[in-house]
Amino acid sequence: MQITRAAGLLVAVAVGGCSGRADLSDQGDQTRLSPNSVVGVSGARRLSRTEYDDTLRDLLGDTSSSGFAMLPPDTHDPFDNDYRTQLTSPTLIEALETLATNAAARVLADPAKRSALLPCAPSGPSDAACFRDFIARFGRRVLRRPLGDEEIQSLIGLQSFSIEAHDFFTGVELVIRALLQHPEFVYRIEVGTPVAGSNGGIYRLNNFEMATRLSYFLWGSTPPDWLLDLADTGRLQRSDDVRSAASRLLQDSRARSRVNRFHALWLGYHQLPHPMDLTRALQTETAALITKVVFEDRSDYFDLLRANQTYVNDYLARHYGLPSPGSSAFQWVSYGSTGRKGLLSHGSVLSAGAKFSDTSPTQRGIFVRTRLLCQQVPPPPPNVNVDQPPTSPTSNCKADRYASHSSVGSCAACHQNLDPIGFGLENYDQAGRYRTTDNGLPQCSISGNGRIAEMGAFNGPGGLEDLLLASGQLEQCVVTQVYRFAMGRRESGDDGGLISALTARFRSSNHSFTQLLLDFVSDETFAFRKNE
Amino acid sequence: MSSLKLGRRAVLKGLGGASLALPLLEIMVDGTPALAQAARPKRYVVCFGGQSLGGDNDPLHNDYVPNIIGPNYDLKSALAPLADHNNIKNEISVVSGLSIPTASGGPVPPGGRVDFFHISSLSPLLSGVRARTDEAHANGPTSDQVMVGAIAGDTTFSSLVCRIQADWYLSVSAPYGREMISYKTDPRGNPVAIPPTSSPKLAFDALFGNFTPPQSPEEAARRDFQLRSRRSVLDLVRASSARLLPKLGDSDRTRLEQHYDEIRALEVRIAALPPPATSTCQKPPDPGADPPLGGSQGTDSSGDLTYDQNLGYSNEEQRARVFCDLIHMAITCDLTRVVSLQFTMFQSHMNMYQLTGIPFDLHEISHSGLGTLAVSRGIAWHMKHFGYLVSKLRDTPEGDGNLLSNTALVFLHEGGHGRDPSSGARYSSHSTENMACLIAGRAGGLRPGQHVVASGMHPANVLITAMKAAGYSGNSLGEVSGDIPALRS
Repeated sequence: MQITRAAGLLVAVAVGGCSGRADLSDQGDQTRLSPNSVVGVSGARRLSRTEYDDTLRDLLGDTSSSGFAMLPPDTHDPFDNDYRTQLTSPTLIEALETLATNAAARVLADPAKRSALLPCAPSGPSDAACFRDFIARFGRRVLRRPLGDEEIQSLIGLQSFSIEAHDFFTGVELVIRALLQHPEFVYRIEVGTPVAGSNGGIYRLNNFEMATRLSYFLWGSTPPDWLLDLADTGRLQRSDDVRSAASRLLQDSRARSRVNRFHALWLGYHQLPHPMDLTRALQTETAALITKVVFEDRSDYFDLLRANQTYVNDYLARHYGLPSPGSSAFQWVSYGSTGRKGLLSHGSVLSAGAKFSDTSPTQRGIFVRTRLLCQQVPPPPPNVNVDQPPTSPTSNCKADRYASHSSVGSCAACHQNLDPIGFGLENYDQAGRYRTTDNGLPQCSISGNGRIAEMGAFNGPGGLEDLLLASGQLEQCVVTQVYRFAMGRRESGDDGGLISALTARFRSSNHSFTQLLLDFVSDETFAFRKNE
Repeated sequence: MSSLKLGRRAVLKGLGGASLALPLLEIMVDGTPALAQAARPKRYVVCFGGQSLGGDNDPLHNDYVPNIIGPNYDLKSALAPLADHNNIKNEISVVSGLSIPTASGGPVPPGGRVDFFHISSLSPLLSGVRARTDEAHANGPTSDQVMVGAIAGDTTFSSLVCRIQADWYLSVSAPYGREMISYKTDPRGNPVAIPPTSSPKLAFDALFGNFTPPQSPEEAARRDFQLRSRRSVLDLVRASSARLLPKLGDSDRTRLEQHYDEIRALEVRIAALPPPATSTCQKPPDPGADPPLGGSQGTDSSGDLTYDQNLGYSNEEQRARVFCDLIHMAITCDLTRVVSLQFTMFQSHMNMYQLTGIPFDLHEISHSGLGTLAVSRGIAWHMKHFGYLVSKLRDTPEGDGNLLSNTALVFLHEGGHGRDPSSGARYSSHSTENMACLIAGRAGGLRPGQHVVASGMHPANVLITAMKAAGYSGNSLGEVSGDIPALRS
């Protein structure tokens, strides 16, 4: 298979003769880069609050989620990991120090966790060999690479505090504190090895950088020991090695959480404007469908939009007005003839774009265009007050009030592409309940008729899903969103070729989402980077 | 929690430069008659509340501005808490008649904003530089950071940047920037936000973590051990720069250099000796763990926002009290001379139900139809804590007077009330007409306790007045120039 990348940067490579893009099944050697391949930039990425907490969980068994409460908030756009928005500050530094200090104290206060940290039984406070072994082992896990001799030596210096305090673990605690504040822990820093002859500043990731890229992409957390072992023995060089390591990562429950997290950020249901029990129930419902399609049935990804059943308990069934499964435990229940279908019928997703204490057809239109179709919607002109709902002199009904958007020429240009989409979902309120009239206005009946200007008319979430599926535009947008989430930034022109190539493969794999993830990480360019 | 200029003095203090530290020690000893008032350090505090003064469609612009002009002004409901603390209003002046100019369909005037309201008042209000879009950032350094250059000297914390509202409380949209009101200038001259500390516990630990003198030799030894090991850890962390930085590309190196600079700044703060305890400078009580975060706003069965008392609120009542206590003591002990205290965010979605009994968030009260009197109850919550902070400064003696003798404070509000140029509404909370603010303290001859009508002036003119009173030699902030002489005696 040969796919030509967007023209532009031509990368010189060390090896001649290979003129196309290296397919996964070809030589599978990721030490080389095809001449037409364009490499994306990468920069130092600070762990997001969630990544920080999940990393501490995996390193130390620490489930306090203390980072979320103390670290400066991440920007959501809609993903929480865009490194170009990250700022350093005194608050960040103080929080990192306090978090590291508290985490170290917590792990040492727990005898089981404490002994799990050590590869040896210390003979006394000055047991240098055991201290060194601990530093080498734990340091590799925290910094996701082996420590150099000099680094180990400098950390060994902390053992003087063990000796002074007559306690081996005093030094252990200080080593943990130092490593958890190390910038190479706090940031995922990729350097790589310069690709010979590339004057564009192309670098090939080393094996440990690859392990880190893989695990933070697929788990949102630190690489496990077995992955670091693979890196250590050079077994993340070839694309088939990378692919098999990624397959193994995908078998872990952390991959399921990560895929759900991707969807939660993308579709905006990581937080919901509802009471806690409803929020939890809606998130459970959506996560169950994603897990079923992606990991259990391993069926066409877009079955997410075709599902004719959903996962509810009595409480959530009552909320929706669906037949009760007769249990407080969640069960799959058929939608029957309710008109509901797929993910866009979920209250989690229908919560997007609530405004003025109600659904906003405009916001829902923006949601469909930006999140599902990856289009750009320009912001309203600065002289428009978007904090007030539209009004009509003659009617309180929402359809009439929003008509002002299309009666003013300058507004209509944009709103005709937005509001009619939202009106097609109006039969579902901002928590996903079915309704036939505007809230509190029985005289205002809702038609549920909607329209995507360039695609056609629809009614309700099922109709919208049919239209979107038929448009053929969803694949590219899904891949684009995955790309943004993986790389911690929006795509640039240089990235278009890879996104198109992955989209084609996604299509030909019958939209297997796990295949998409595997194709992405085993694409030759996943092993390369460029400085910003 | 602060922006720190690396003070050589602070380093020397850490090395035990007793003779160099002497002038500071002298300042710290309260009631030293030999020391002239002029030798006392001056302080500058800027506070902000994320709400306008009036409610939509209510002809009453505010219940804030007194009827009486001059001294002995009357307290309207928004300012009613200023009667507390033995009439703390005597230390506070009200400035009314202010406005931020708007584009009104044309170009944005200097110090002005675009017509769309949220959050276009941020830049002109805090930095005096016009906002050309509804951008969520300041276009120049804010007054507090300008004052860092003027008066911070070698204080351990060149400024404290704190926020009381713990979270944004709305799950939709990406409102980045509304939680930040302090901006400095980077080496290329671009304004850079300083994220605030919103954790009272973190602020306490940073300010007073190693503060009180040990009470016993055992404790002294324990604390010495803790301090030495902490420094060793930070030394190691910072030493990694030598290995790491040379390998990085330009952008990453810049990012990491900034990170290492902040670590260095923390080391300098730790190295600074705590000031000796005096009758006024004492370690405040440990506030303990922060109140838990309250989660985002909810909706009820009919889909309306509920403002459930457990959502959108993280016990800001307690957080406000702790921050005021910490700021007061940080000033008392001369740990800092410059403070930025954000009570609530621009377009604040903090739930006001527990604080006022009004079932809306702060921003939504303005649009709720409940009118200006309801809005005033939200403002009054801010005033309760501001009055407390001012009273604590008043009640702390220094030299012949008290801390207020050398302090200037300003409390700014997000907007005024009146015409909204983007909708044309006459009585809108989306307006920067009819703005008002507070200025407190007696530094530099400020004469508090009066109501001054400063018609046609800009809120930044009030900031400039306070800045000059606190030792700023300039006469402008961003694109706004001049002070308000009537505020001085």
